[in-house]
Amino acid sequence: MTLFGDHLVLLPVLIPFLGGALGLLLKRQQPLQPWWALAAMATALACTCGLLAAVWRSGHPLVLQIGGWPAPFGISLVADLLAALFVLMSQIVLVVGMLYAAGSRDSCIQYPTFYPFFLFLAAGLSGALLTGDIFNLFVFVELLAISSTILTAISDDRYGTEAAYKYFYMSQLAAFFLLLAIGALYVSCGSLNMAHLAVLIAENPHQSLLPLAVALLAAAFMIKSATFPFHFWQPDFHTAAPTPISAMLSSIVVKLGVYGFIRMCTLLFVDYSVLIQPVLIILGVAGICMGGISAVGTHNVKRMLAYSTLAQVGFILVAIGWGTPLALAAALVFAFNHSIAKSAMLMLAGYIASRASVKSASFDIVTGVGRPLPLAGALFLIGGLGLAGIPPTNGFISKMMVFKSGIAAQQSWVLLIIGLASTLTLVYTIRAFMRIWWQAPVQGIGTRPRGDRIYAPLLLVAMVLALGLFAEPLVLLARETARWVGNPDIYIQAVLGQGRTVIETGG
Amino acid sequence: MEILTAFAIGLTFAVGLFQILRRNVIRAAMGLMLLANAVNLFLLTTGAFWGAKAPYVGLPVEMQSDALPQALILTAIVISLGTTAFVLAMLLVIARRYDTCDSDQVDGLKQ
Repeated sequence: MTLFGDHLVLLPVLIPFLGGALGLLLKRQQPLQPWWALAAMATALACTCGLLAAVWRSGHPLVLQIGGWPAPFGISLVADLLAALFVLMSQIVLVVGMLYAAGSRDSCIQYPTFYPFFLFLAAGLSGALLTGDIFNLFVFVELLAISSTILTAISDDRYGTEAAYKYFYMSQLAAFFLLLAIGALYVSCGSLNMAHLAVLIAENPHQSLLPLAVALLAAAFMIKSATFPFHFWQPDFHTAAPTPISAMLSSIVVKLGVYGFIRMCTLLFVDYSVLIQPVLIILGVAGICMGGISAVGTHNVKRMLAYSTLAQVGFILVAIGWGTPLALAAALVFAFNHSIAKSAMLMLAGYIASRASVKSASFDIVTGVGRPLPLAGALFLIGGLGLAGIPPTNGFISKMMVFKSGIAAQQSWVLLIIGLASTLTLVYTIRAFMRIWWQAPVQGIGTRPRGDRIYAPLLLVAMVLALGLFAEPLVLLARETARWVGNPDIYIQAVLGQGRTVIETGG
Repeated sequence: MEILTAFAIGLTFAVGLFQILRRNVIRAAMGLMLLANAVNLFLLTTGAFWGAKAPYVGLPVEMQSDALPQALILTAIVISLGTTAFVLAMLLVIARRYDTCDSDQVDGLKQ
């Protein structure tokens, strides 16, 4: 990758951003837009693959100091294995999401700004994952929040605007928390660069404003990842969004909070991780129970899957809370596999809703709609098994890793609770499958001959199976990532590197 | 001066939080703006010397305010301008669609 050098780190952010900006110029060429967006996103994905390969091959994080300003003074973009893995995960799902949007019959897809904002969402997410500057994180998170709110507000669902309004208030509060935390960190340490902050906090961990910063950052990431006490907006928001968007929100956008927690526990606040981790375990277990029970009790397929996200994010948080290298690897594998399976399931739910003669994902309407659609049924069943963690799907690998790391960490009570609660996944996915594909349709509701195209979920379910059968590369990658994450010096050295001496002499 | 600034920021926060919890959606939007300003003022004080001193005023370096938080606030103000405009646009749609400004009646999702 000598072609781009360190600038390779910029491409996964820059390409979707430029693609979105240029896409706005294409507003009169409606037929061209999906292909333009897909091409931009696929190029970005190719660059991300190259980035991950380059990081893996070089054995150290790739860092781009924007404008050539050395580390703590300028803004750096950092691609270590963790960031690159998360960007790869989100861009795979984003490409498939755009493929679904291209084949969707929703009228909101026809808006000239739909694809540009989809690309801005991708840019915001990739940027937030790759940035090494905490204020830049705020800017990218705002970009992500605004574009996802707009995409939900234009939804065909008549409650889309209401859900978007609810979410926007929450995300604004999260942004304020984030800004306050940035202020508190700046007062305590006088820096905004995450690597530099990590060094300064480790040198002097008992400053009076640091616990406040920890609490505020944790609150911001909890809202972002819809963790248990802050989850109430999430089912509404994820249900009312257009199908391709809700597949993105419920699978990869919530992972931003997860990423934030990993960075907090392993880079910024290593000294405070004994405080953060028990909280994560408690909230994760509460989320698993709440999410599972609520998902069993819902009357809408999409809402059921949104509640299921609450439970599945709980598993990831519990694994981060255990904090051993094995548990961190399990959290990463779980996050990756859940993104693929959950987006596939949401797309299938949207596909079924689009084939019902009244467009809705409510169980009262979609019951029996699936009978003439055996292919979607098979895909839904495999995806559901993937969520529940039954072999040969990828969910089995991730759950097995979580339980294995829990046994190694000797957390028998937590294991018992989450083991019992995870059987609920099987209950609600199989119940949904039986209602849609086995029961007789309701009077007056038929199956439409045409609806959204099924290629996108087909692709994702194929990946669910492939990652279940050939899990080894991903597991190896996750374990190597966990090893990097366990040693914050790798990140710090890569970012500060040559600049280190400058800071020390400059005072 | 520091005490005064601290109280002023605290008061702005309190009023903003109170407004955001009101039922009227327009008051809630105002609360959002107040909170944004309170956060910006807080950021300003993180770099300020003696509560309020401009950077580059000809004082010795160690007595000048830090200019970086002011750059941060500039960014945050621009973002909050965009979000405020967007919130007001959403409120317009909601007020027309539900024919009310009472957030208790904007409850279509509960069904």
